[in-house]
Formats: sequence, C-alpha cells, structure tokens
Amino acid sequence: MTFEVKSDILKPEDFKLEGDVKWCPGCGGHAVLAAIMKALPETNVKKENVVFVSGIGCSSRFPYYINTYGFHGLHGRAFAIASGIKVANPKLSVWVVTGDGDSMAIGGNHFIHILRRNINVNILLFNNKIYGLTKGQYSPTTPKGSITKTSPDGTIENPFLPGELAMGAQGTFYARVVDTNIQMMQDIFVKAARHKGTSLVEILQNCVIFNNKVHEEITGKEKRDENQLYLRHGKPMIFGKNSDKGIIQSGSKFVVVKIGENGVTKNDILIHDAHNPDDTRAYMLSRMTLPDYPVAMGVIRDWQSDIYESLLYSQIKNARKNSKIQSVDDLLNHGNTFRL
Amino acid sequence: MGELRLMKGNEAIAEAAIRAGCDAYFGYPITPQSEIMEYLAAEEPHKRTGMVLLQAESELAAINMVYGAAGTGKKVMTTSSGPGISLKQEGISYIAGAELPCLVVNVMRGGPGLGTIQPSQSDYFQATKGGGHGDYHLLVLAPASVQEMSDFVPLAFDLAFKYRNPVMILSDGVIGQMMEKVELFEPRPRNTRFDQSWVTTGKTPDRERNVISSLDLDPARMERHNYDLQAKYLKMKDKEVRYEEIECDDAEYLLIAFGSASRICQKTVKLARQKGLKTGLLRPMTLFPFPEKIISKLAEKVKGILTVELNSGQMVEDVRLAVNGKVRVDFYGRMGGMIPTPDEVLKEIETKLTGG
Repeated sequence: MTFEVKSDILKPEDFKLEGDVKWCPGCGGHAVLAAIMKALPETNVKKENVVFVSGIGCSSRFPYYINTYGFHGLHGRAFAIASGIKVANPKLSVWVVTGDGDSMAIGGNHFIHILRRNINVNILLFNNKIYGLTKGQYSPTTPKGSITKTSPDGTIENPFLPGELAMGAQGTFYARVVDTNIQMMQDIFVKAARHKGTSLVEILQNCVIFNNKVHEEITGKEKRDENQLYLRHGKPMIFGKNSDKGIIQSGSKFVVVKIGENGVTKNDILIHDAHNPDDTRAYMLSRMTLPDYPVAMGVIRDWQSDIYESLLYSQIKNARKNSKIQSVDDLLNHGNTFRL
Repeated sequence: MGELRLMKGNEAIAEAAIRAGCDAYFGYPITPQSEIMEYLAAEEPHKRTGMVLLQAESELAAINMVYGAAGTGKKVMTTSSGPGISLKQEGISYIAGAELPCLVVNVMRGGPGLGTIQPSQSDYFQATKGGGHGDYHLLVLAPASVQEMSDFVPLAFDLAFKYRNPVMILSDGVIGQMMEKVELFEPRPRNTRFDQSWVTTGKTPDRERNVISSLDLDPARMERHNYDLQAKYLKMKDKEVRYEEIECDDAEYLLIAFGSASRICQKTVKLARQKGLKTGLLRPMTLFPFPEKIISKLAEKVKGILTVELNSGQMVEDVRLAVNGKVRVDFYGRMGGMIPTPDEVLKEIETKLTGG
C-alpha cells in the first residue's frame, strides 16, 4: 500500500498531544514516545491513516499520548484487534503497543498467530521484564530466580525471549532496540514501518520503579559497547569498544572471537544477512544472551514474504472476476428463474 | 478468642485461605485484588501448610488450572476482579457442569469493559444469574466486612464440597482495600470431610473409573443431568439462605443492600432513626440463594423498600420479584466508582419513601 503525502509535511510536533504523559518520571516509555514521534513523519503516512492499538499495562497507555487514532483494547488482545483493523481497512498504518505481560503471557496465543499470518502491522514490545501496572509481579520474561512480589523465593519459570518466540512463529521482521538510544529506535521504527508484513520491535525498556536497571548490563555506558552487537544488513558482526570482537560460526554454534588473535581476521567474521529466507541464523542471533554472547541489536530479520491481507483481497478480486454474476441483472436472472 | 489482626480485606481472604486448608491457589494480577496473591506469596504457604501457589499466564489459564486441580478433589481457588472474572466465565460454566467444587473470589471494580479500578457492585447479575453459558448457578456469598472476608472462606469451601458446585465470594474494592480488625479462626485440616468418590485419583476395585466431563450428547441423559443440577439449586434455596436483619422489628421503611453498600446503609439507619424515621436494613449474605422469603415477609409490614447498590439497579430486580407488588420498591445507586454517603441515602428515603 502506498501513500501520496510527502514526508516533509509532518513534523514530530504534529504527533504531540496536550496534557500529561502519566508514566513515572524516568520511565523508558518517554524515550520510545519521543522516538516514534520522530519516526512517524519518515513513514510518509497521513496522520489520519495511523492507528495505535494497545492492550493492558503501562505500555498500553500509549494511545493516550500520541496524536493519531487510538484503540485501547483488552489485555493480551491487541494483536487480534489490530488484525481486525488491518484486514477490514488495509489502508491504515497499524501499530500495536504492548508489554512483556500483555504479549507474552495472556496475549501469547494472539502474538504467535499475527506473526504466522504475517499481517502488515507494526508491533512495539516494551520489555521491562516485570508487571509494572499491577506493581511488581514477575512476567514471562523475568529472569529465572528473580525475587518479585509473587516470587519471594525466586521465580522457577523459564523466561521467554520474544525474538525466539517470533522466529518460532515464522515472524518476517524482528528487531531489538534499547530505550536509552533514541536514534537507534527512530531508525528501527522506520524500518519496521517499511517492512511489508508483521514487524516486531522488542524494546529493552527500564521500569524505574519495579525493575530498575534491569537492562543495565546491556545498556549501561561502561558496558554497552562490549555487550551489544549492533547488526547492520551486509556488514560483519563486529562489536566491542575497539571493534575488535566478532561472531563466527563453528559447527552449529556461534563463537565470539577476537580479531587478531589465533589467526582470526576481519574476513572471518560472519556477514549479517537480514533478508535471508532461512531464519536459522536470525533465531540464533535472537537467542544470544550474556555472558557468553553480546546481545544482538538492530534488525535481526527482515524478510519479504506473502502478506495476509494482500492474499485475502486478491482472492476476493479473483472471486469477483470469475463470478458468473457481474451485475444486478445477472443476479436476478441466474439459476432457476421463471416468468409469471 | 482467636488471634486479632488489623488487615486489608484482600489480605484476610489470603490468610483465611491458608487457615481453611486450601490446597492450591491459581491467579493473575489485577487491581484491586493483587494483594491476595502477594500476601500468599509473602506468607510462603507451602511452608506453612503445603499449599501451592501459581501465578498463571492469564485468568483463563488460572480458572482452567482450578478446573484440573478441583478434579483431583483438592480445595482450590482463584481470585480476580471484573475483567478477569469475565475471562473465567467459560471455565466456571464447565466446572459447574462437571460438578466440581472450587472457590472463585471477585473483588468487584466498575465496568463495563476495562471500566475503572474503583469499587463497584456491577457484577451482581453475572455472579447470581450464572455468568457463563448454560443453566447453572454459583453459590454466591457477599461479605460486608473484613471479618467476613475471612469467615466466608472456610464456609465457601464447605458449601463447595457439600454441593460439588463452584462458590463465589462477591466482594468489592471497598471491602478488599479497607483495613479492619479481624478475629482469625483456628487453622483447619486440608482434607475435607465430604464425599470424595468422584475424584480423579485412580480407580479403586470397588468403583468405576471417574472421568471429569461436562459433555453428554444423549439428550435424555443431558436433560436428566440438568434436572439434577436444578434440584441441587433448589436444595440450596431451601438450606443455604443467609442474611442479617438490622433494626427490622419495628421498621416502617426498609433498606436492602449487600456488601459495602450495606455498610453505608447501616449508618443511614442510625441517621434516619435520629430523625424519627423507623428504618431497618436487610443485608443478604447469600446472593444466590437469595433471601426472598424474609423479604416477602417484611414487605407485608413496611411502608416502602429502598434497595441501595453500587450499580444501576441489579439486585433490585430480585427484590421486586420477592416483594411481588406488595409494597413500593425504589432504588438508589451510584456507578463507576462513585460511593454514596449515608446522608445521600437518607435523602432518598425522605424523598422516595416517606413522601416528605
């Protein structure tokens, strides 16, 4: 679907709303909001053709804070609501804003099915690894062993990695960003909007009240260069303060190597191919966790496949074209008719 | 005298669950009742009694965990509020159909939809008329104090096992969040004194194997099953009606209210009597079965009845059925988290009932 309006018409301020943003001071959500306001003008979409859909949770207050159409739905059901919106009116640019509880717990089922269908919707998943709105219970992404209000002895559940789940559900676009880098978020949000099909952007977000510094190991100034691998399509998977570390594949595993050591050169480092139809490496990248690996950031997978609503509307078009009934007269005179 | 404590209503439910010998709790956080699961987690009931606690991935999962666990003959429960209770309705209907005992607590908030997190009594219809699909009823208990939040838990388990039926404690955000003195009851054993021959704990040589199901495709057998259920509800109506009469003996005007609304009306009764209006209060403690006989009896001697609810008028329909036109029945309610004052209710008595 293309839109005729030029990008220079809209500015980030056009998406601002009067009134308070009722997230805690210091919440990662503020940065995401700023980044999306910068990204939206670049997506060449009229404001009145944009709709933000959410479920329940702190993240899901998003539609109240942005000057587009909004839909504050049911807990976990935003994906189903967004599917309905997009299928009924494919002209709209549809964004789902969700959290780790909303999308991974109660909405887990709808989450995998929107990805499987590949409906052209953009998902912003705020992952702060805790239930913030209900004040601090563990979520499906909370690391095992975490002490929370409902796990005083530590959680005994294995957490989900959203990317891992998305790959398992045949997701065609998956990116990961941090809430401390507005520029990175803006770039990735634009890429997500341009991708045709369901785009999932996982935002590693800080909850300043109930899970403060949860992503500190990844986002902290001292550690981020060593602990983040920022992926760019067609570029080698190199990271580290001195850009001297990289990823190679050995057998079925990724291995972190140092360039210049043990005869490893820059040419040995894997080149990132986000457009690869085979999702094996995307799956492996999405699963990389500290301390053995850096955490992969940026667009991990961006593969163009069939879009659900395009197939649906082409079926409708074909059915119309091939139908024996092309007019009201055809309809009235087809089948068994008789004269009085 | 039992141990005295100052507690929130939600905490009292949780403490009572441990003391009542509850085997398992399955829940999902939702305001205004998240303290129930948090209190249980902090108390570590697995160390106190062996009780299991699990935070499910949704209310749907929680009620189905209850369904499974109830089938094993254990004392099991879940708690939630409006939106979560709506999600549980499918499971509750199956549990009622399969005739399994369990406790469901609804700490009501205002609806419809996401509504508000403020207190309300707008789930009365849902609780008392079935809620899910099919011809069934829950036993519904309506606590009006933190004390009753505690006391009703062992009662609910007893009723659930006695009738093999889900029991609901229909509370609200006021009772859940407010703090009052509670006298805690002595801990009870986890096993139940009621019949357990129906549970899925293996087949003994003296009986057929048990299969938990709510399905029967044979229409005649299904009808018989439905008649059996209805007979059970009739028995509940006969045996389990509970209510409190406050200054009803000489009352000329009668207030009818449950839960937090009845607490407001208690004060109104005092204010009205100071003004010389002989007013009484009937407080249903069971909403199903509904105290229709006493209401019918009182209707014969009072000049007017005012039903007060934190909703748009739900229980008033049952009051009118019970009164059956014998006397005028009026309604006063506030919605969406708004709570009437005792004076507001008094004014309603004066304008609607006394004609003054």
